[in-house]
Amino acid sequence: MDSAITANGIGAPTVDAAEARARISFLNFAIVAVQLGMVLVLLRQFQIESTAFIQLAAVAFAGFAVHAFLPLRLRLPFFTVLSIASVPLTLGLVNGLWLLAIGSSLIGICHLPISFRWRAVVLLAVATLLAAQRATLLPFPWTEAIWPILGSMFMFRLIVYFYDLRHENAPVTAAQSFGYFFMVPNVCFPLFPVVDFQAFRRGHYSVDAHETYQQGIDWIVRGVIHLILYRYIYYYVTLAPSEVTNPAQFMQYVVSNFLLYLRVSGLFHLVVGMLYLFGFHLPETHNRYLLASSFTDFWRRINIYWKDFMQKIFYFPMVFALKRLGTTRAITIATLVVFLLTWALHSYQWFWLRGVVLFAWQDILFWGVLGGLVVANSLYELKFGRRRALGKPVWTWRSGAMTIAKTYAMFWIICVLWSLWTSESLNDWIALWSALSGPYTAEALLFPGLALAVIVLGSIPKQKVETAKTPQAAHRAWLLDRAVAVAWLAGLIVVSVEGVHTKVGTEIATMVHSLRSGHLSRLDNAKLERGYYEGLLSVDRFNSQLWEVYSKKPSNWLEVENAGLKRFVGGFAQAELVPSFVSMTKYGTITINRWGGRDKDYAETRPPDTLRAVVLGPSIVMGWGVGDGETFEALLEDRLNKEPLSPRFKHVELLNFGVPGYQPPQQLVAFDKATAFQPNELFYIAAGREMHRSADYMAEVVRKRLPIPYPALQAIVDKSGVRADMDETAALKSLEPYKAEILKVVYDSLVEQSLKRGIRPVWIFMPQVRAGIWQEETAPTLKIAQDAGFAIIDLEDVYRDRDLETIRLAEWDDHPNALGHRLIADRLYQAFAANPDLIFGNRANAK
Amino acid sequence: MSDAVSEKIKDYLMREFLPGENPDELTTTTPLITGGILDSIAALKLVIFLEEEYGVAFEAHEVNRENLDTIARIVQLLIAKKPAVAQ
Repeated sequence: MDSAITANGIGAPTVDAAEARARISFLNFAIVAVQLGMVLVLLRQFQIESTAFIQLAAVAFAGFAVHAFLPLRLRLPFFTVLSIASVPLTLGLVNGLWLLAIGSSLIGICHLPISFRWRAVVLLAVATLLAAQRATLLPFPWTEAIWPILGSMFMFRLIVYFYDLRHENAPVTAAQSFGYFFMVPNVCFPLFPVVDFQAFRRGHYSVDAHETYQQGIDWIVRGVIHLILYRYIYYYVTLAPSEVTNPAQFMQYVVSNFLLYLRVSGLFHLVVGMLYLFGFHLPETHNRYLLASSFTDFWRRINIYWKDFMQKIFYFPMVFALKRLGTTRAITIATLVVFLLTWALHSYQWFWLRGVVLFAWQDILFWGVLGGLVVANSLYELKFGRRRALGKPVWTWRSGAMTIAKTYAMFWIICVLWSLWTSESLNDWIALWSALSGPYTAEALLFPGLALAVIVLGSIPKQKVETAKTPQAAHRAWLLDRAVAVAWLAGLIVVSVEGVHTKVGTEIATMVHSLRSGHLSRLDNAKLERGYYEGLLSVDRFNSQLWEVYSKKPSNWLEVENAGLKRFVGGFAQAELVPSFVSMTKYGTITINRWGGRDKDYAETRPPDTLRAVVLGPSIVMGWGVGDGETFEALLEDRLNKEPLSPRFKHVELLNFGVPGYQPPQQLVAFDKATAFQPNELFYIAAGREMHRSADYMAEVVRKRLPIPYPALQAIVDKSGVRADMDETAALKSLEPYKAEILKVVYDSLVEQSLKRGIRPVWIFMPQVRAGIWQEETAPTLKIAQDAGFAIIDLEDVYRDRDLETIRLAEWDDHPNALGHRLIADRLYQAFAANPDLIFGNRANAK
Repeated sequence: MSDAVSEKIKDYLMREFLPGENPDELTTTTPLITGGILDSIAALKLVIFLEEEYGVAFEAHEVNRENLDTIARIVQLLIAKKPAVAQ
């Protein structure tokens, strides 16, 4: 592979030389094609990213097979057509056409036959109009689904494109322009590297085709490895700040938070690897960023495209503009401005992807501190220089040890800085440090040891193609790189085969099984769940798959939340449904009766010969996302009246007292209200993680200094030591050890009050429509309910053998849809039919 | 003449950024930016050297991989800016 070391040719290539570079022999093509087939299997086996991406990858690989044999002059147009076709193919025809139309208009403006200054003015005007639409200040005729993709295609690349048009003399073809903006596989990824237009144009078949394709496969494989590692960290290693109570967990927290970045580096490798298959020999997107040995080194290794973008558009122009102040001053000012702009542009990016402006102090702090450190490091390098090497660096024990020590220190500094950036609040981050005063066990050495091992192994110099001194050495290095990539490819495919990993043992099999699909981690599941209860939107601020789930959520999703469904009433419960409220939603009408329940307008006094049950619970009971009459409560009531199970009662009335966002302690207030309706039965619907949600709510009550009218709960609060001036994480840490006790008080109180009034208390467990964290507390919760004296109906398997996606309201909303409510109603009816005494018996349960 | 320019640039690069390295390993096609020898600060220092040495003026958009990645490309740029350099 001589071409590997002569890749950087001089001057413009001749047509013949370019044609020769772009050719690939049938044998080499067959080798590449086999590897691509394996890549496709790997993508499928591990369900990399999304079904849409896997389909697009299959189309792109098929396209590659055609593309590789086209005359060179037709290859870029072919890539462009494939890229344009990928848009409606992935987004649907209408959305796709809208996106293409808006994008084409933006490209067209860049080429208007007017001066650059006026083109810039027109572009800014159109961008302002689009921004107003993105912020929903102005209406738009397309759906929200296209915004993140449109944003990812144009928010930065349009700046680069316009800049290059201004400064480049070479004419730009339509294929280059459209291929650059709509490039495969951008339509699948809201997070996309800022590919440079000049690099995109000049890199096209600038290096031997076979070498380029192989490099592409290497990067795709490397990307997939990053993504699988990311999944492992995301599913198994990440911790919530409130779980960090000792030094070992502190190390785990900061390391895992930083390593979540593997998602970005994985995606970027995958994306650029695919572009290599179409001849684009682009720079690498990341360069072993865990091995950065200084702040400037870190900035140069991580997200290289971003660094290049900032350098090109802001840094160099600013340094040149300020040159009269002296090089040192110019570099200092320009570097600081670059970091300030990096922060601002993250907010700008967030706006286009999510439609809201992001402003978080931890972002400003992170970029401010990192910018200051990079400036200090740059000034040091300006004065003293830094060591560079031609070829393979000479390795001595002394130099090796120094590099490893610097890299290790840098790794931890970056981990700590990263934890500041990703924390939900400054207080949260500060509270983390108290964990270092906890007990130091051997476990505290695990992550420092692992990090050291990775850095030592990574620091051992190896022969690289670019630095090889002879063609033979370069060829050997090239072959080794290929062999390693193919070995990973084959190894991962083998491991992913069920028949293989299930033989290794249950734990490994479970782990591999979970790594084979992309789903929310237990922490993000908890955040998603918390999002329902507390309406938190900040949970998706940073670096998590939840971010992507939320990015698909329309801003007016079930707009009733903002349209007055609930009102603040103060006291322990804080809020209630607004009586006589009516709203039309996409899923049907929501009607709240005069008593503040989503139900028919029952009389306050129970009619004779009627069995009346009050149903308490959160949004699933209220019927979030289904119309009136479609809630399981309404369906069950209807069926119990049409198909009676007991001659003792002529009528059955189920009174819906479900309130979205209500936590177990709030049900005490709801129960007090419900008893005025003289029920015979209490159906308490438990919706998962009852203990944690109880502790979480009590922490909120204390922080908001709300009255606690229940002495037993007040006593727990007192002994936990939680205080109103504590931040959220510290308050949760104080109350978490008492979560079972809090729930026990709630359940005991409900049962005791029920029995006093002759009400039969029935506890019904309702699973969420997503596998995950809600399952963690099911067994102890059920035990607490049993011990309290509830009759138990466990519906944990109500969705068994069903495709959860057909039951879930939406990807970002785990509530059951109308089908889910029907399933619940049917199961409850069956449970009552199997044991009619459960609700129609003569007397209430005794403890 | 362009050989003399190449030599001068090579001398500068060796002296400023690669002290102690073997000069034979730095050829006119050795990748400088992609090879990690020229970072943004080094590129700026090199540009200032070229401006002072050859009396040419660089613009911000010219400080890029395309123009500065090899000694050969640097020489090409210099010649394009000031043809007299080649004579």
